This record gives sequence, structure tokens and C-alpha cells, in this order.
Amino acid sequence: MNDLPRTGEDHARSPYEPELGDFESTPGDEETVNKTGTTTVGIATEDAVVIATDMRASLGGRFVSNKDVQKVKQIHPTAALTLVGSVGGAQSFIRSLRAESSLYETRRGKPMDIPALSTLAGNLARGGPFRAIRPILGGVDDEGSHVYSIDPAGGVMADDYTVTGSGMQLAYGVLENDYTPDLSTEEATSLSARAVEAAVERDTGSGNGVFLATVTDDGVDIRGHKDFEEVR
Amino acid sequence: MQGNSQQQAYDRGITIFSPDGRLYQVEYAREAVSRGTASVGVRTPDGVVLGAVRRVRSPLMERSSVEKLHKADDHVGIASAGHVADARQLIDFARRRAQTERLRYDEAIPIETLTKSVTDHIQQYTQTGGARPFGVALLVGGISDGEPRLFETDPSGTPYEWQATAVGGDREAIQSVLEEGYSEDLDLEEGIGLALRGLAATNDELSADGVEIATIDAETESFETVSTETVEEHLAEIGGESDE
Repeated sequence: MNDLPRTGEDHARSPYEPELGDFESTPGDEETVNKTGTTTVGIATEDAVVIATDMRASLGGRFVSNKDVQKVKQIHPTAALTLVGSVGGAQSFIRSLRAESSLYETRRGKPMDIPALSTLAGNLARGGPFRAIRPILGGVDDEGSHVYSIDPAGGVMADDYTVTGSGMQLAYGVLENDYTPDLSTEEATSLSARAVEAAVERDTGSGNGVFLATVTDDGVDIRGHKDFEEVR
Repeated sequence: MQGNSQQQAYDRGITIFSPDGRLYQVEYAREAVSRGTASVGVRTPDGVVLGAVRRVRSPLMERSSVEKLHKADDHVGIASAGHVADARQLIDFARRRAQTERLRYDEAIPIETLTKSVTDHIQQYTQTGGARPFGVALLVGGISDGEPRLFETDPSGTPYEWQATAVGGDREAIQSVLEEGYSEDLDLEEGIGLALRGLAATNDELSADGVEIATIDAETESFETVSTETVEEHLAEIGGESDE
């Protein structure tokens, strides 16, 4: 009975793998591949999540290989993920999460809740070849707003605000000074931009502007700004 | 099987269409279901009731070894009618599928999703050479997002959702009792009463240890077996009504 035709859901798949597509086992991402050095910030407010990311891709933080990278992407009707670490690993991770979340919604008539999406993301990070990524996941569902940081071993940690990437200490300095639990979405947006700006000033892996994403019940809005003046 | 030799070609071994579009193996599997003792399900706003008759062939047999109600996960129960051995395979499939949902998403599986996974699995056995369809029908009851849900699976692999229904022998007789007694505002206790009246419709000597009743309460979202004493009280009430 091992050769039943494949119809419907693939129950034989491990929960640590995507239902669609295979994870190829690749050797560790070398120093020379594009990395996003990066500073990415996520803050949960009452009914939204704001995410800010810098725009630089670099080779080991020593050479700027791209000055206009959008490091926050929509992966679900009301959730976004940041690219941190290996660009290839992060892009493939995003493709898998998009496919899985779309399949879930089409089959069941309702999108995945954000905690479920974070569990799935942790499972894929753990089972997959994404050794060098450290994304932030932010999203909104019936229960409210959620921010998680995800590590390459599949660790998933919820928080009110979080930072990942090479400029994290600099960004945290700003957040620890100015974060309060009652921030409005506008205030949080400005704070996240200032946190990325601080990192851009001193971290060689971060720079070239900021992308800001606002996730609400209505969806995900992402805008790029070369000039921090516009968003401070 | 007495039909002409042409018909015989379509009802042996593999499941293939007859010229008039029928799948005899699936129809025979439905026949196997209707030879089994009945199981009922009743959905109320407070939860789902599942019930089944236990057929014991000899007084020496341990009644508790006849299992027709199964817990599939904390919030899901499954009642079966038809081949017990086939039912056990599907129950285990459902249990594994329910835990996969927790592994994958850290969530309790929705009842509709679980039912459709099971029916997709059943369907595969109607389209595969060398396989035989499952000779069993299931009632899958439980709570999703706080809402009680009740589904039926049949040997073709089609899912149906019900307010109250029966599978197995004398299904029509039980269904008409359910249709008569059902209302959308039953509480869980009244649901148990209706399930037992349904089962009693085709069994004059229904005794408390001859039936199994379980509930999945919308509040607690947990599968609980109803005690023999409680079933006895309900049966006494039903007996009282019919004496009047």
C-alpha cells in the first residue's frame, strides 16, 4: 500500500518540512554570498505591528553589494517577515511560508492565526537548510498583534518589540530609551525608524535607507524611504 | 453476484466503474456499514453527543471490549459503524493527523479539517488497484473555535455535516426519531436523551451497559464518556415516556 496515488493533503510529510517543495541540503552559506548584515526592528502596538529594516546587502559587511534591498516581505494576508542573514536562505524561507500559508487558507477558508504561522516558521527553520537566517515575524489576527524573533535552530520567541541583525545593539539602545507599552502605531513607526537610523550611522552591515511595514487587520503596507528625515 | 458475467467483471478485485457509472465495491462497502450496529451523533449549542449500541454475542464476552466510540484528540470524538477493524485504522489515522496539526501549527485541529483529511484518505482506497474500500462509516464530533461540529464520513470518501444523524443498521428509523425530536436549542443533557431515543428506536431492550455515550462539551472542549448510571437515568426517563 506504499504506492497509493498522491491525492489531497500529503500526510506523510514531516511537520518540519513544507508540504510543497523540497528542502535541499546545501553546505553552509559561505562568507562570499550576499548577506543582509542588517538591522530589522519589529514593534507590536495595540492593533498593529510595525517593522523597520535597513536597505543594505553586503559581502561580509565589508562591501556593499546592493543599496536598495527590501528586507521586509508580506507572507500572509496580515503578516510580514524580515530577511536577515543569507539572502538566498531568507528568500527561499519566504517562498515556502507564502505557499504553505496560502494552501492553508485556500483549503480551510480562513487564514492561519499568527501563533500557528510562527510555529510553522520555527518548524521550517529547524528542519530546513536555512542555517544563516534570523528573521522577525510580525502579524495581526483575531487575538491582536504579535511579534516574534526566529532563530536558525527553530527557536521562536514572542515579544512586544525585538531587533535582529548586525546592528541590533545600536537599535536596542534607542528602543530601551524610548519604548513604552502604550505607543500609538504612528509613534511606533517613528521609533522603529529612529532605531534603524542609529544602526545605519555606525554598523557597516546596515545602511542606505529604511523600509517601513505596517501590518493591520486590513493587510500589509510597505514603503521605502531613502531619507530618514521623512520618517523620524 | 448472480448477475451476468459482464457485471461480475465490475465487482471483483479492483474498484472500477461499471458501464452505468457505478462503483460496486464502494456500494458493497456501504452494505457492510448497514450491517453494523448503529451509532448516532447529536449536535447541540452546548456540545456534541455521540452514542453507539454495543452488540455482545455471548454473556461471557466482556462488553467493554466492544469499542465503538473513540477519543481522537482532547476535543474530538469518533463513533463508528461497520467493520471494527477498518474503523480502528481510520481512528488511528485521525489521531495521528490531529497530533500532526499540533506539531505543525501548535493548534487543535478543526473538526472539518480532520474530517476532510480522513475522507481524502478513504477516497484513495476507492481509486487504487489492489486496495479495498473501508467498510465503515464514521461520525466525527468535536469543537472548533468554540463551535460544536458534527460530520459523517462514508465509504466513498465523501464528508457530510449534520445537526443530528445516525450511521449503520436501521439508519432510516433512527433518523426519523432524530428529525422528530431535534431542535436547535437542545442542551447537552437533552442531546443525550435524543441520542438514546434514536438508538432505542430499533432496539426494544436497550440497557445502560448495552450502549456507549460520550460528549464533547463546548465549554471544556474535552471528550468525556458518560457514566452508566447517567445513561440508566436517561433510559428510565425514556421508558417512563413510552409507558404513558
